Amino acid sequence: MQPKTRSGIPLKPFYAASDLPGGRTEETPGNYPFTRGRLQATRSAGGWIQRELSGEGSPKQSNAQLRYLIEQGQTGIDVIGDAPTMSMTDPDHPLARPAAGTQGVSACRKLDYLEMFEGIDLGSVSVSSSIPAVFSIAGLVHAARQAGVAPDRLRGSTIQVPLYCEDCSYRYHLPVGFRTRLAADAVAYCATRMPRFHAFLEDSYFFSESGLNSVEEMALAFVEIRHILRRLLAMGVPVDQFGSRIAILLNCSMDLYEEIAKIRATRRLFARMMHDEFGANDPRSQSVVITCHTSGLSLTAQQPANNIVRGAVQAMALVMAGVQAIEISAFDEAYRTPSREAHLVGLRTQQIIDLESGIGQVADPFGGSYFMESLTAEMERRIWAMVTEIEAAGPIDRLVEQGYFRAILHAAMERHGQDVSRGRAHLVGVNVHAIPEDDDRLLRAVSEMKFEPCEEHVERIVAFRASRDAARHQACLRRALDCARSESGNLLEVTIDAFEAGATMGEIAGVFRVGCGQAYDPFGRLPPPL
Amino acid sequence: MAREQVTIGIMGIDQHENGAIAVSRFLREAQMEVSYAGLFNTPDTLVDKALAGEADVIGVSCHSWEFLHYLPELMRRLKDSGRDIPVVVGGSVLTPADRARLAELGVAACFGAGADAEQIVDTIRRLARPGVTRREAEAPR
Repeated sequence: MQPKTRSGIPLKPFYAASDLPGGRTEETPGNYPFTRGRLQATRSAGGWIQRELSGEGSPKQSNAQLRYLIEQGQTGIDVIGDAPTMSMTDPDHPLARPAAGTQGVSACRKLDYLEMFEGIDLGSVSVSSSIPAVFSIAGLVHAARQAGVAPDRLRGSTIQVPLYCEDCSYRYHLPVGFRTRLAADAVAYCATRMPRFHAFLEDSYFFSESGLNSVEEMALAFVEIRHILRRLLAMGVPVDQFGSRIAILLNCSMDLYEEIAKIRATRRLFARMMHDEFGANDPRSQSVVITCHTSGLSLTAQQPANNIVRGAVQAMALVMAGVQAIEISAFDEAYRTPSREAHLVGLRTQQIIDLESGIGQVADPFGGSYFMESLTAEMERRIWAMVTEIEAAGPIDRLVEQGYFRAILHAAMERHGQDVSRGRAHLVGVNVHAIPEDDDRLLRAVSEMKFEPCEEHVERIVAFRASRDAARHQACLRRALDCARSESGNLLEVTIDAFEAGATMGEIAGVFRVGCGQAYDPFGRLPPPL
Repeated sequence: MAREQVTIGIMGIDQHENGAIAVSRFLREAQMEVSYAGLFNTPDTLVDKALAGEADVIGVSCHSWEFLHYLPELMRRLKDSGRDIPVVVGGSVLTPADRARLAELGVAACFGAGADAEQIVDTIRRLARPGVTRREAEAPR
C-alpha cells in the first residue's frame, strides 16, 4: 500500500526537481508570502517563546507555579483555567465545586488575577491565556494597573473560540452570534489600547484534539479567522489596525514532515488572504504569528516515558517550521493534570533543542526541498479547498447552529478511536509494542499524586460575595446586561468595569446570557442576581 | 432477541467527550442500545436517565478527578432506587489505586487506558445479561 501522510496525502518513495511546484522558489524568509517565516533571521526576535501550559488550584498556588517555571528559564507564561473557569462558571457553583482548581487555575474575579500575577513583571513577560478572552484580558488589565504597567506594554495573547467551543472542549452556553461579538469586541478594544498584545489568537489546538487531521484543523481555523475578521470589518475597524494582532495557536502531531508543511502552507495562505482578499498593506498584518502546543492526543497513559520522546519530536518539527512560541504537552497529561516534574521535562526538552541541537540556528532549513515544497503546495491546496467548501455550504452562524461543525468534530473523534483500536494508526505502547500493566512502572508514580479541589479558595469567593458594595455591583451588572441587549458598546469594556465593581465571571456571563434571551445559569441552579 | 441497554454519561463539569463517544460507537456496533446521557450529569440525573431508559448497565466516562466526588453518591443513589444496575467506569485518568477504590464502592468494572474495545464489549455484555434475560422472558411471544 502506498504510504500517506496523516491527512491522507500520498507519498512517493523520493522526490525530484520535477516535483517542485512552479519550479525553483526565490522566496526568502521574512518576505511575502512568508512561507519561509515571518522574519529573516530566527534569532532576531530572541528565538521562540518557551513555556508550559500551567495553572493549578487557587490563584496563589498558580502564582507559585508560574514563578517556579520562570525561575527554571521559561520565557513566557500560558495559563489555563480549570473546567469551571473555562466554561465561565464560578467555583462556588454547585456543579463546579468538585472541579475547582483541579485542571487549571480557578479565577473568576479581579483579585484572582492580581494574586495570580503578583510579582511577575507584566511589562516584560509575555502572558498568554486560554481562559475565556474577555475575562482573561479584563483580569490582565487590572493586574497591570495594580503593578503600574501601562496597557500598551502588555504582551501575550488570548484565545478566541466563538465557532467551535460548544461542540468540543469547553462550553460557554452563549449563542454563536454573541460569542463572535465577544471576540470582535475584545480584538477591537485591544487593537488601539494594547497594540503589542495578540487578542486575536485563533486556537485550532483545542478543537483538533478531537482527532482532526492537519488539513481539517487548518481549514476550520481559517473559517473562524475569516468569520471574526469580517465582523471586525463590518464594525468599521480598519484591517491594518488589528491584522498584525492575529496569531494562530496550532496543534503539532507526530507526522513531522506534514506538520512543517502545514505551518509553511498556513503562513502563505494567510499572507495571500490578508493581502488579496482583505486588502491588508502592513507586512505585519500579512505575516501571521504562529504558536503551538504539541499534541496531547498523541500522548499515551501506557509507558508514559515514551511521551517525552513524542514531545521532543514534535517540538523539533515546530522549531524547523519556525514558530514563535512552543509548549510541550506534559508527559503525564494523558492521565493527570500536569505535575511539576512533567512541566520541567517539557521545558528542558525545549532548552535542549534550543541550546544543544542547533536546529533553530537557520530559518526554514527545508526551504527549496523537492519534497517539502511539494507537500507544502499540496497542503495549501487541500486546506483552501475545504475552506471554500465550508463557506459554500451556508452562512457560518447557521452552520454552527445546524451542527455542521459538530458533525465534523464527532466524526473525527470516532475516526481517531477506530484508527487506534483497529491498529490503522500506530501508537507505540498501545496497539503495538504493548507491555503488561504490571511491568509498566517507569514514571507512573506521578499518576497517583492527585490534588484536591481548592475548597479554601471557594470559601473565600463565597465570603467575597457578601462583602461587596451591593448597589455598585448591581449597577455594573445592569450596564453589562444593557450592553449585551443593545448590541452597541464594547463587551470587554463593560467586563473590565464590572470586575472593578466586584462582579464575578459567572455573574457577568450570566447577565450576558440573559441579554441574549437565555437562562442566567445554564445548569438551572442559580437565581439571576438582577 | 432483546438487546443490551446501556446508558453512558459524563458527570460534573468535565467536558472531555472523546472517550464516551468512542465507547458509545463500538457498543452500538456490537448491537447494543446506547442511550447517550451526555455532559453535565449529577448522580441524580444520571440515575434518573438510566432508570427511564431501563438500562442494564450504566457507563460513566471520566477524564477529570470529579469521579472521586460523584461515584460514592451515584452508588448510594442507585442503591436507594432499589435497582441493582451494574456501573462501569472508564477513563484514562483511572489509576490502579482508583480502580481498587471504585471496586470497594461496588463498581462492577473499571477500564483504564489499556482497555480495548473487545474487552469492554464483552464485560458490558456479561454484566447486562440478567436484565436482558429478564426482558426476553417478559417479552410478548
